[in-house]
Amino acid sequence: MTLATGKVGIICCSGEDLPEGTISRVAARLVLEKLRRDETVTLCLPLFLAGGEDERAFARVFPTIAVDGCNKKCAEAGTRKFSGKPVATIVVSEIMKKYPRLKAKSREKLNSEEMELAMKVAEEIVKKVDQVLCKKNKK
Amino acid sequence: MQEEQEVSLQQMEGNKVAIISCAGMDKALGSVARACAFKVIERLRPNETVLICIPPLVADVKPYSELIKKHPVILIDGCAERCATKIAAKNGAKIRGRVFIPQSIQKYGLKPDTASDIGPEGEKLAEKIAEEIAVQIDKLLGK
Repeated sequence: MTLATGKVGIICCSGEDLPEGTISRVAARLVLEKLRRDETVTLCLPLFLAGGEDERAFARVFPTIAVDGCNKKCAEAGTRKFSGKPVATIVVSEIMKKYPRLKAKSREKLNSEEMELAMKVAEEIVKKVDQVLCKKNKK
Repeated sequence: MQEEQEVSLQQMEGNKVAIISCAGMDKALGSVARACAFKVIERLRPNETVLICIPPLVADVKPYSELIKKHPVILIDGCAERCATKIAAKNGAKIRGRVFIPQSIQKYGLKPDTASDIGPEGEKLAEKIAEEIAVQIDKLLGK
């Protein structure tokens, strides 16, 4: 990871225990690769937790958004512990409550319904990114 | 909560192998590691394995921190950072096996595409590694 200015870090749980972890991962990648590719960078949570100093330094200096699959909020807790409080935390299981027709069942590959859910989560991430970068209403 | 505890106790019973996979976001290697873990856990050896999620393990959430001390552990490291190994060792895991994805790429000559989509070669690679892990699990469990 290269430190860069004017960027928002996205640190997602990517947990393997629940489908929500996979959705957090896919949503983060949608933001990083499609929705806000020039404004965001990814922080690798396992590396962050294992002692990755570049990742930790970024989250100390630049705004970072935690994307957690469940209410254990491991990404938020890890960021808080090693770098400081994230500027926002998005919890997939909470967002899912707003869309009861969309169910998440798969941990490996997402079906179309789960992809729709990932896009909803990605849109929430984008809102936070834009707020952080004061870009609200400009896009 | 009670349901969660019951599940946890069930998971701790019997002979199992714990799998800790990298789950890295930065590279396709992390996606291959995850794919291998799911193939083993969900298809090849669902009754003989428990999947350990790294973030709660670091946060010392039970039963993860107990499972890695109770059961033999196979690690899947995506890249040279070796996060799964570092975290497992730091948390007192009974490490009995390790897969290093870059080495497997060399061994099989299969290259994954991207972190978002590992592509057909990445899928084939994950399948081959998962089969190796399944053999290792059988050995560890004396089958």
